[in-house]
Amino acid sequence: MSKVQLTIDGKSVEAESGQTILEVAQATSVDIPILCHHPALSEWGACRMCLVQVEGMRGLQTACTCPVTDGMKVSTETEEIANIRKFILELLFSERNHYCMYCQMSGDCELQDLAYRYGLDHWTYPRPFERMEIDASRKYFIMDHNRCILCTRCIRACSEVAANHTLNLRERGADSMIMADLNVPFGESTCIECGTCLQVCPTGALIDARSAYGGREKDVEHTQTTCMQCSVGCQLDVVTRYSRLLRVDGVWDAAPSNGLLCVDGRFKPLYDKRQRVTQPLVRKDNKLVETSWEEALKVVAGKLKDSKPQGLALAGTTNEALAAFVKLFEKAGGEAGRLEPLAPELDYGEPAQLKDILESDYIIVAGAAPLEYQRVVGYFIKRMADKGVPVALIGETVEGLQTQATLVLSYEEAGKAAEAAMSAKHPVIVYSVGLKAAAIEALKSLGDKARILALDPAHNSNGAQNAGLKPMAVNGADTLYFLLGEQSEDEALVAQLNGQFTIVQASYKSPLVERADVVLPTPLWYEREGHITNVEGQTLPLNAVLPMPASVRDDAEVLKVLKELI
Amino acid sequence: MGKIKVATQWLESCAGCHMSFLDIDERIVELLKHIELTSSPITDLKHPPKEGVDVGILSGGIGNEDEEAEAKEMREHSKILIALGDCAVTGGICTMRNFFDTTEVLTRGYIETESTVDGEIPQHEDLTPLLDKVKAVDEVVSVDVYVPGCPPTADAIWYVLSELLEGRKPKMEGKALKYGMDGG
Repeated sequence: MSKVQLTIDGKSVEAESGQTILEVAQATSVDIPILCHHPALSEWGACRMCLVQVEGMRGLQTACTCPVTDGMKVSTETEEIANIRKFILELLFSERNHYCMYCQMSGDCELQDLAYRYGLDHWTYPRPFERMEIDASRKYFIMDHNRCILCTRCIRACSEVAANHTLNLRERGADSMIMADLNVPFGESTCIECGTCLQVCPTGALIDARSAYGGREKDVEHTQTTCMQCSVGCQLDVVTRYSRLLRVDGVWDAAPSNGLLCVDGRFKPLYDKRQRVTQPLVRKDNKLVETSWEEALKVVAGKLKDSKPQGLALAGTTNEALAAFVKLFEKAGGEAGRLEPLAPELDYGEPAQLKDILESDYIIVAGAAPLEYQRVVGYFIKRMADKGVPVALIGETVEGLQTQATLVLSYEEAGKAAEAAMSAKHPVIVYSVGLKAAAIEALKSLGDKARILALDPAHNSNGAQNAGLKPMAVNGADTLYFLLGEQSEDEALVAQLNGQFTIVQASYKSPLVERADVVLPTPLWYEREGHITNVEGQTLPLNAVLPMPASVRDDAEVLKVLKELI
Repeated sequence: MGKIKVATQWLESCAGCHMSFLDIDERIVELLKHIELTSSPITDLKHPPKEGVDVGILSGGIGNEDEEAEAKEMREHSKILIALGDCAVTGGICTMRNFFDTTEVLTRGYIETESTVDGEIPQHEDLTPLLDKVKAVDEVVSVDVYVPGCPPTADAIWYVLSELLEGRKPKMEGKALKYGMDGG
């Protein structure tokens, strides 16, 4: 990249050749208005808001697509430009329904902000009052075509970020409409409800069903925390108002997923209908009854001291809790382990980060179903497949990746993938618990140039690993202590219990909680403080978005108190 | 120089813009030192005087023939005409019915609503017919000053009136230019 010198609004600026005028302007705090541009998406140049004057060039140029050249002289805000931008805004307001007073986006709308900026105090052109469809066929968010300005951010987000290609444009010119697949209702389409389109929509066309009309930007609070719904550890921007969870957004500039979320992280946790445990419970006369923490802890401490205990954790809680769990059982003299299985360890390759997928030139998915369990990893792989990077599937495969795969192989045929990936410079192997020994051996030839991403089913698998918890089954101890957090236990687990005294530390009611002798309530994902260690081995912070109920206590604290009591 | 004469009228309006005008609170005392409010929907005299006023203020969209006539009357009698509020400026929330034809709207409102039993569409010579579509004031008469907002804030209204009193045409920008309720 060579350096170029240009002037923007009379100010001399140095830039890299290949940068656009918009990029350079933004880097030097010159505010060029945008609508169809979004930093996470490719440039489109459709809305014409970023038009600028370049000396010597005919007409005005779209700053978002026009590359800078040496000696360029750019004006971004002349009277002519302002008039043209205002004219474009008037045209946008003259199509469809842009009456702000009953729009949920009013106050936070990028179109409205620009109308204010260019002094649009009335509309010159007549409005068509053409009724357009509102598509509410999806559970979590709604498409109101009346508010759409056809910027196509949603289409680009769907194709480029989620790599799902559900959205597209139909018709031409003023008849253009956003459509899902071949114009089916969104709820019946191939949409995966990742919500990326919702997050990039500049107007009120895409509406979050839960947070609509729930508060404008000036009314809400934002807290960044880490998603606990799988092992990827995406960063969440949790939006709240008056202690109410409104919405979850992705964080564009935060690894591992850089803004991309999935339905499990963005929407589902806000609709959890499971019944919560909010008070310590102890079994009396064969019934679970509410009790005080003091009494519950006394009973638990007594049992840990006076009988042979075994501790079994679902790795869905914090590193702090898992470490305290191990320490408690060391002191109590019982065994402690984890309930979920672990992906086999490979003695070759380097641990991968998610971004390594985006830099890879060959991807092998072996015995894993990322589109189902670590969806963002699946979307990353699909992005690369879109760019022509070969994807080999070995062993169990899932629908979705199969259409992208260049090779679909059994474990016995794994050698073919290794052979095909041999000439690749940056091959990535994504695998999980299903990976068979034959394939492990066959892929060994890729050696240390392979980047390895082990997708354990447990949400904080690496946290459990670091704490020293190994997979373990119920071993016949007299007292069983289950640390569940808010994950649901395997239903088969309850059948394995045989009259042992059972202590469960959990957030939600479940068969195991019903069967327990003592239940200790734990906080939910948005109430947690602490850390998890994600699939990349990065330790990421959990920040309490809302306070937990007074009768709930953090697992790690409880485990520490118990250790003191025994 | 005598007091500046001001007349106001509401058309298809919820009265919110006039309420927001009253929200200028004690500043109204100062204002009345400089203006004479000749007529308004919230005083006894409803129509602008024959000799005319300096400033006419209209809130609300234009949805029937009567409102159309009121707008024309105000325009004829005002040197400067202000469209006050989103409905006067753009037709506003009243235009929600523009997506349907008038028969559909009346049938829904007077017959089909869930709480209505044996409803009928009222018809009487005193009832003015609906226009096909609700219009902004400037689709019927020319407007000199636009003050959007649902309602415009008391501060925006105060700003517009005090600018006019100073002999300037108000420039709608910054906090004075907001659509919907207080900019959202």
